[in-house]
Amino acid sequence: MNAPPLSLLTIILDTNPHAWALLTPTLPLSAAIANLLVFINAHLAFNNSNKVAIIASHTQRAEFLYPVPSQDDSLQANGSAHNGAQNDLDGDAKMVDSDEGSGTAAGDDANHYRPFRHIQTILLSAISKLYKTTSSESLTPTTSIAGALTLALTYINKQSIALSTTTSSKTNADTFVAPSDPNLIQPATLNPRILILSVSGDLAHQYIPIMNTIFACQRLTIPIDICKIAGDSVFLQQASDATHGTYIALTHPRGLLQYLMLGFLPDQSSRKYLVPPTAVGVDFRAACFCHRKVVDVGFVCSICLSSKSGLSTVLCWNYSVRRRKAPHV
Amino acid sequence: MAESDDEYVQDISDDEVEAHQVTRSAGTGSRATGQGSRGAGWEVTRTWENVVEGADGTISSTVEGLLEAGKRKRLLKDTTPLQRGIIRHLLLVLDLSTAMSEKDLRPSRYLLTLRYTTAFIAEFFEQNPISQLGIIGTRDGLALTISPLSGNPNDHISNMQKLFEQEPKGQPSLQNALDMARAALFHAPAHTTREVLVLFGSLLSSDPDDIHATISALVSSHITVTIIGLAAQVAICLTLATRTNPLLPPSQTYNVALNEAHYRDLLMRATTPPTTSHSTTEDSGVKSSLLMMGFPSRIVDPSPTLCACHSRPTRGGYLCSRCSSKVCSLPTQCPACGLTLILSTHLARSYHHLFPLRNWREVSWARASVSSQKVCFGCQAPFPERPASLRRQSISGGQNHDRMSLATSESQLHPPKAAHISNANKDGVSESGRYECENCRRFFCIDCDVFAHEVVHNCPGCQSREGVLSFQTRKGGE
Repeated sequence: MNAPPLSLLTIILDTNPHAWALLTPTLPLSAAIANLLVFINAHLAFNNSNKVAIIASHTQRAEFLYPVPSQDDSLQANGSAHNGAQNDLDGDAKMVDSDEGSGTAAGDDANHYRPFRHIQTILLSAISKLYKTTSSESLTPTTSIAGALTLALTYINKQSIALSTTTSSKTNADTFVAPSDPNLIQPATLNPRILILSVSGDLAHQYIPIMNTIFACQRLTIPIDICKIAGDSVFLQQASDATHGTYIALTHPRGLLQYLMLGFLPDQSSRKYLVPPTAVGVDFRAACFCHRKVVDVGFVCSICLSSKSGLSTVLCWNYSVRRRKAPHV
Repeated sequence: MAESDDEYVQDISDDEVEAHQVTRSAGTGSRATGQGSRGAGWEVTRTWENVVEGADGTISSTVEGLLEAGKRKRLLKDTTPLQRGIIRHLLLVLDLSTAMSEKDLRPSRYLLTLRYTTAFIAEFFEQNPISQLGIIGTRDGLALTISPLSGNPNDHISNMQKLFEQEPKGQPSLQNALDMARAALFHAPAHTTREVLVLFGSLLSSDPDDIHATISALVSSHITVTIIGLAAQVAICLTLATRTNPLLPPSQTYNVALNEAHYRDLLMRATTPPTTSHSTTEDSGVKSSLLMMGFPSRIVDPSPTLCACHSRPTRGGYLCSRCSSKVCSLPTQCPACGLTLILSTHLARSYHHLFPLRNWREVSWARASVSSQKVCFGCQAPFPERPASLRRQSISGGQNHDRMSLATSESQLHPPKAAHISNANKDGVSESGRYECENCRRFFCIDCDVFAHEVVHNCPGCQSREGVLSFQTRKGGE
């Protein structure tokens, strides 16, 4: 392949309404999305075949914001949209996209580059739909970052499979069962990376799923970049450190666009020639399973590996494991 | 000389035939049972017999089915959460005798073993970061330590590199190797597993003494021995494997590699921590205990300082949480105070063994047609529509049949039992290309199924479901 490797940027946007409400004085969500759109446009402008996916990590669920399955349309339309996405790999996505854009979004600025506008309309409508369907009782201070990361990984996996099998995509059925052995995936052709825009902390309850996704990223050499707008999370620091991603905690959230452009725009291959911003002190301490306290020296159960702060504590984690296992033994 | 060599080869292959037939008749050869070559000679796998023409006269549907079956074959394993011995002490015994210079495995048994062992070391520490590994070789009737018991994969790999320059020679001695392994595992604490993995290419063992006495000694010191043969099944190896693993079937403890890929599979299977059940814990001496461990934070010094482990000047490093001496890499034991130092990420790496993701269920067309989910939840790829050819097929089978399938599709949510069974028969391939997580009731494609079970160990649906967080909170509070 002579063309430069295309890079797939998967953005995970933390859309926790609580956290964004707190941020409103400095960086309202609308401004953040506007900045993000400029960043996405810059990414797409870099290379004709660059791709982007945006996933919302909402309070209790994760959802694709772009690309979205068009559920109200007939399946035929859905299929063609996805064939368009498949054609994207050949580099002629712009034409397909622009056709779609002219069909769906009417009355837009003629000076607006159509692929950019296409993403903008889809993203904005998906976000407004997401907030409309949020019920007040589902509002928690947490965010389902593990689900979003898992979705991002499955999407990246599918894209790299689709790319490695250069077979033609004639019908829906063909695109679906494109022959692909997991061992035959050539990740060299696709340059995936994940960017998390995080605004909320407290992820202790998703510890194991998050760690699973981090190890998957490590194995697939997908860097996880963290743009920490607010809050603080130990796990995300470990995620970026383990996958050789960039971790930036914003000191001035108002300048989000500049952070994005300077810190996160270069892809994996060009980062080799740059000096990336790195977090010096990474907190590797484990959280104990009984108190969720972060400990320096702990006691680890040799069977279930949960760490405990002291011997006198109730081994809650251990008990729950045993209880769940009981019917099988 | 050359002639006698040829005869020797011939003998081996004859033995091989027998060995494989034995495993097949016992229904234990994983490869042999999977390919369904009933009645065929052992070396002939009649793959073409599996290909049947579809209703439209092409074989594309069968080919696709076979591809999916191949993907899913490795998936359908037992996903019951079991107690596993996560902290392991494993000694790898390599046969370095003349039998290893055979070229039936390319490029040769010896080189392939060395190459796979190097991969095995990396994978072993990936899966068991707080375990210990040691490597023993046997040649000229002697056992020699190649790499002593340690938790550092780089040491082992560099020690393995020296073997690449040597040649296999002499006869192996199983007894000497086992005795040496037993001595090395003698000091392993009671809460860890004591395992020996033998890669055995010879058909004989030249021992100084009664090997049965050694086996009895192994049994009494709770050491389990698993063996991968490269040539043929050997009676003493079978005895050894069955006596040291009284609870496991021999198919899990003694296998003969059929080809390079099978060899690799067998070897990599040993990276998964072995299960320990409550009934065996008392007998084998494996018991749970609390280990004191330090979770140090990384530091970067402005100027280089000496590290406690190698006495080399380094800038980055980790400070022991108890005595503040600096070490360069983790996991390790603090050279000053002996505290085990690890990263919390090392512990987390083993969690997916303890909480495996359950297998997903195949979805029948009847069930798929009542669902509104048209794309894979994980990757947004569209699912195939119910093909017209399949409808035609069912019509040709009888108009009634089609009406019946429509009726079942209306009965919703409760897929007919018969349809379920017929799906399960086909190597676990879903006829509709959909796979359903039984927890979150979402449909996924085959690629996401394989990926979620083998790489991520998370269900995308369960992790992004309404209310999942409150559920986990409740579980954690138990």
